[in-house]
Amino acid sequence: MSGTSFKFKEADRNLMERLFEAPAIGKMSPVAKVVAYSMLAFWSVFVIFPIYWVVITAFKDAAAVNQGPFYIPFVDFQPNLDAWRVHVSTDPFCDGYAVVRQFGLLIYNTVAFILSPVVEIAPMEPQICKLYLAFTNSLVISITATILCVAAGSMAAYALVRIEYKPKFGNIVMFVLLALGVILATSYAGIPWYVSSAVALVLFFLLARTLGRRFKASLSNGDILFWMISQRILPPIVIIIPIYMMYQAVGLLDTHLALIIIYAVANLPIVVWLMHDFFASLPVELEESAQLDGSTRFGIFWEIVLPLTRPGLAATTLLTLILNWNEYLFAVFLSTAKAQTMPIMVAAKNAGEKGILWWEMCAVIVIMIIPVILMAVVLQRFIAKGVLLGAVKG
Amino acid sequence: MASTTRGVPVVFDKIAKSFGAVRVLEELALAIEPGEFLVLLGASGSGKTTALRILAGLETASSGRVRIGDRDVTDILPKYRDVSMVFQSYALYPHKTVAENIGFPLKVRKVPKDQQDKAVREAAAQVQIDKLLDRYPRQLSGGQRQRVALARAMVRRPSVFLMDEPLSNLDAKLRGHMRAELKHMQSALGITTIYVTHDQIEAMTLAHRVAILEKGILQQLDTPAKIYNDPANLFVAQFIGSPPMNVVHGSLQGTTFHIGGATIDVNVNGKIDKAILGARPEDCSIVEPGEGRINARIYTTELIGDHTLVTVETNDDKLTVKAPKDFTARDGDTVGVYLSKDHLFVFDAATGARVR
Repeated sequence: MSGTSFKFKEADRNLMERLFEAPAIGKMSPVAKVVAYSMLAFWSVFVIFPIYWVVITAFKDAAAVNQGPFYIPFVDFQPNLDAWRVHVSTDPFCDGYAVVRQFGLLIYNTVAFILSPVVEIAPMEPQICKLYLAFTNSLVISITATILCVAAGSMAAYALVRIEYKPKFGNIVMFVLLALGVILATSYAGIPWYVSSAVALVLFFLLARTLGRRFKASLSNGDILFWMISQRILPPIVIIIPIYMMYQAVGLLDTHLALIIIYAVANLPIVVWLMHDFFASLPVELEESAQLDGSTRFGIFWEIVLPLTRPGLAATTLLTLILNWNEYLFAVFLSTAKAQTMPIMVAAKNAGEKGILWWEMCAVIVIMIIPVILMAVVLQRFIAKGVLLGAVKG
Repeated sequence: MASTTRGVPVVFDKIAKSFGAVRVLEELALAIEPGEFLVLLGASGSGKTTALRILAGLETASSGRVRIGDRDVTDILPKYRDVSMVFQSYALYPHKTVAENIGFPLKVRKVPKDQQDKAVREAAAQVQIDKLLDRYPRQLSGGQRQRVALARAMVRRPSVFLMDEPLSNLDAKLRGHMRAELKHMQSALGITTIYVTHDQIEAMTLAHRVAILEKGILQQLDTPAKIYNDPANLFVAQFIGSPPMNVVHGSLQGTTFHIGGATIDVNVNGKIDKAILGARPEDCSIVEPGEGRINARIYTTELIGDHTLVTVETNDDKLTVKAPKDFTARDGDTVGVYLSKDHLFVFDAATGARVR
């Protein structure tokens, strides 16, 4: 210690330091500010311009589109409602009366479907305003599929977090072999499928109870979780043909139910994967405490776990809903008329003899994105942080 | 409201627990008296929390039975055991207000709303948080959260209270305060309480009886005074007491204990080549060199306030001596250490067992 001290002095900073150094903790340096905001501005153009372009194109007519590009309404071109009117004028059932009647039929048919196991009520064919039909189809299919998917997926994720499963690897192999046996027996030996699968099931349970005890290697929750997410690795296009054939065999093609099932199944891995992490971050003491306080297992899930994972649940629901709402591939294969969804309507504007009808397509797109925006606004309130604060520790 | 609840006895009947190949509890046998405050004391990994969780029903025993009152509860669900638990982390429900937290056990029991409110207010008043009922746990301090957890445990008048290190997240001052309140409340309610801690001061101050666990084995079960004055083995002797008991390595020949060249008379008789002599710091004193039983050098002195802790160095061991607060000495000074004959303990170095 010679007496000389070595200090930084704020006043001694050179130009570079002044530019690159943050003026205070939690603030950005001048250069960082410029870089950050210009990157954000650049990105915003990419995000916002397409939406702006779609919205103004929806109010253009053929001339304004083809002679364009025109950017500013009322200055470059005169906006009109041609693109919107055409959907109504070319479709005899798109007047107010038909739409109201269709809405009534939708409810009627839903009730008929729910009651169908009890009383047979013939569903009534709606008069088709295609755009309206597609819109309600999209709503019914994506919302129902999302509810099913999030409900099943979050319960599965919770179980995978809190319960330890140890399926024997040998049993799984046995199950797959027996399933193969059923397929072979049914398609080559001509044995009815219900006979062969019943025999296989009985065999499986017998073998699992006897031979199964000898198997050593077993899988863990991590393996099950990976198995679930691996279902998403395959691109949907490679499984669409078998799925089409399955639905054809059971007569579900072009129905709401077909799309609801396939959407719920396709998004299940995403829900399980996302919710798994949210559940895993909950302190287990809360649930143990509730257990001692007298809650049932489902009561704990409903009253303690779900409210605390609400941000995660909202985010997952929103994501699933958007994925379902935008889904095109399954819809284009599995629906032909009655169950068509909005993305099909959009794509259909590409298929006319007159080339791509951009203005009509954009009108459909505007209708299609409004519910998603509304949903995002509603759900983002719940995607807030800090819900767990104060659960444990001081 | 106090004395209406009478305590019930709790029995651990040869409870053993292993996780895979790891044995956490070895045939724990404990009989807890009605209304007793029993502290399970041990270091981490001693199996004390596992024992508590087996009693709560959050863990299943590998073998043995648990009885609460006259019921065998080994195989019944936690909610039918009529026990309530205060967790180390408090485990308050963060999305519920204080009142909802305290009332939760009543709500799931479908107690009528007006009775719920009354019970919640009573329980809250008992732990002095009746002004905080509308707050959320995140708006409370550590001590207040602790009280909410206590109120939630009390509100349904369980047969048994279980507490898993409930004070360890509080700062030292608040911990001392809450300790006194807990003790008062327990004796006022008269509910059988089983309290897990690694803090020997908590154990000594709170317990009617202390059960000391180490590596899943019960070392000693007795009143705090007996445990302090008459430890069953070297582990208990060193675990209890602050600063811990001094140990000196040597050999026991008849009724004399040999340390290097020195000999000390003891009250036991035996012949052990590797033995350990134990003496509590307050039973030792610093005397002039050559006067005491052992000669030593001053290592350091620490003034605590009402006394001074003097650490001295002998050939192999360091000893701590509790000296008067005006004691002064320079490091390195040679002194004698006097050991009071009636307060010496001799242990077998190989097994740790007390030689009596």
